[in-house]
Amino acid sequence: MDVLAGLIQTAFLAGGVLALAALGEVLAERVGVVNLGVEGLIALGAMTGIAVVSVAPVPWLGFSAALLVGLVAGMVFALATVVVRANQVLAGLALTYIGLGLAATLGKPFSGSPAAATFAKVDIPILSDLPFWGRALFSHNILVYIIFLALPVLVHYVMFYTRHGLNMRAVGENPAAADAAGISVMKMRFWYTSLGASLAAGAGGYLTLAFVPSWSEGVVSGRGWIAVALVIFAGFRPINVVLAALLFGFITALGFVGQARNWPVAASVLAMLPYLGTIALMILPVLAWQKMRRIMAAPEGLTQPYFRDDR
Amino acid sequence: MRVAVHAPFGIRKLCIPKEAKSPLEWAGTNSKEVSSMFSTKDLSRRGFLNMGAMAGAGALLSGTGLIRPASAASPLAPIAAEDALIAFGHTGPTSDEGWTWAHDQGMKAVEAAFPGIKTTFVESIPYSADATRIFRQFVSEGANMVFATSSYGDFLYDVAKRAPDVAFYECDGRAPLDNLGNYYVQHWYPSYVAGIAAGAMSASGKLGYIGSFPVPSVYSGTNAFLMGARTVNPEATLQTIIINSWFDPQAATQAGTALLDNGCDVLFGIMDEAGYLQVAQERGAKAVMWNTDLRRYGPDAYITSVMVDFKAFYVEQVRRRLEGTWTPTADLLPLSGGVDRDAWGATVPAEVAAKADMARTKMLTEGWNPFVGEIKDSKGNVKVAAGQAMTEQELYHWNWSVEGVFGLDS
Repeated sequence: MDVLAGLIQTAFLAGGVLALAALGEVLAERVGVVNLGVEGLIALGAMTGIAVVSVAPVPWLGFSAALLVGLVAGMVFALATVVVRANQVLAGLALTYIGLGLAATLGKPFSGSPAAATFAKVDIPILSDLPFWGRALFSHNILVYIIFLALPVLVHYVMFYTRHGLNMRAVGENPAAADAAGISVMKMRFWYTSLGASLAAGAGGYLTLAFVPSWSEGVVSGRGWIAVALVIFAGFRPINVVLAALLFGFITALGFVGQARNWPVAASVLAMLPYLGTIALMILPVLAWQKMRRIMAAPEGLTQPYFRDDR
Repeated sequence: MRVAVHAPFGIRKLCIPKEAKSPLEWAGTNSKEVSSMFSTKDLSRRGFLNMGAMAGAGALLSGTGLIRPASAASPLAPIAAEDALIAFGHTGPTSDEGWTWAHDQGMKAVEAAFPGIKTTFVESIPYSADATRIFRQFVSEGANMVFATSSYGDFLYDVAKRAPDVAFYECDGRAPLDNLGNYYVQHWYPSYVAGIAAGAMSASGKLGYIGSFPVPSVYSGTNAFLMGARTVNPEATLQTIIINSWFDPQAATQAGTALLDNGCDVLFGIMDEAGYLQVAQERGAKAVMWNTDLRRYGPDAYITSVMVDFKAFYVEQVRRRLEGTWTPTADLLPLSGGVDRDAWGATVPAEVAAKADMARTKMLTEGWNPFVGEIKDSKGNVKVAAGQAMTEQELYHWNWSVEGVFGLDS
């Protein structure tokens, strides 16, 4: 039981990076912009978080700074993809490498020392002391609750239960129709792409201030790409994407536990588990239920730059 | 496993040389003047996945005289310090606080020892044709001596072959030339010493290990660590988790958590960062690290570290190069001559430290080799007969687990 509680705890902790970054990507993709710069944004945010707390040891300050840096980087990206209408894939890849390079260069002085301040566990009276659930669910830092509870519910509500959310989705599905209805496609795309980038960088801040409390070049290790993939896997839905991140974190942790408990399965097979699981979960529901294909489909206008004249 | 867009980290060490030029060419017979250093040939910590076959073949042939001794080349001509350019090619970033950082310290020692000398370095060189380009660039910039601080195999070999006036060194190299040598460390001795302390400090007798790949460095590290631990706790076992990377703090953190959840209370590993030390600190467990002093990441958890120190080696080789006495060597830097335990952590009891240090002193003063039979593998077969001592080459190429090590041999 202790092992299972530990598994769930690690799933939340490790899944947090993926969940926040993927949530940001959902925002961008729902308005029709695919941002492949997530890996670089996480690196930027991770470095920023550590750099800021090394000056002022307040974790919130570091996390906010990461969000802010992400917002600025996102605005540059949005300027390129939404205003100038450059190719989204190329601009995204460029953002990844710029982010990784900038973070590596600017982060040099901060690598090699532990984070000066981190998000501590929140002790919830009674709940944290529960035998099993206490460790699994109620012994996390505050960011975990924000990432897995508050944010996805908020985004889900705005996206599916408000007029603004309807407009937002319309921009992603059919920008021409949205434009005709009087919605400013450019404004909507610009701000949600920037906000999404901000969350991705926030995932970096979470990484170095709550999960692995130190910065070094390469600390992201490809998790940004997983986040992009999870968005597709979760059918571009905020709550699903967070659950998918949790599942991914859980299966990854399960692979390690399998090794630790010496299951008679090769380590390389256990390392494949998260990916096998992802593929299986993408294929099986569609095979079983054809309608899933439509429900899980990408926004129609994804990656399509919008020109008013060009119908 | 990772989506390796940042190539230097994702795939940098997962490399299989297409064609091992001459694992058998190198006799390792020119370990002339550095008496305490042992010669070596193929693999090392940054070793390769196909080491089994090569190591086996090497071990077979080395005793039979079938191997051609390294040709006794005449030393390269001397160079004035102000004309000298010493180049370093690294596998990771110098800021990694681990392997590459330690090599970078070596470069700084060279700069301090030879004022007026010029140095240059490139970080995060991928294992690809890019490496050839970078090493070739060193040569065209006028480098007199090039250190590759990880194995680049053919990518370096081709460059060295075309630049006979430049001295090359390859950490864990296997294909020597008249101007290409190699070097590595005997990390199994400090691992054994650290294992004694770990065994004494483990209440559960369950040790955990976070490994990169099932390569000889991981086998020799785990085996030596457990053999040390078993001298104080004969029932101790060691559980290994392989994370398929030398540097992935997120995976190492998860792996460390999984090990602690499964009853381990002392962690060891071979990582270029401090992820699992931070986990141990948070969970009140203990940890032994690699490469450098990392106690600031977990002052209460820190037992010691397998410290690598290439400073003296680099200074010595550069000196020989400048003097015009340099010929390639194949060196395994010994205990206290390039690899050692770090100063004991704050929470290590004095009697535990003394006990472990007794073994270390014995190794240093008497040349004691603790790797003496009878040693059984994880399946119970006797691999080293009673009374027989394992040679440095066997330790270097270790590719089976001793009894009590789980997770590597499956």
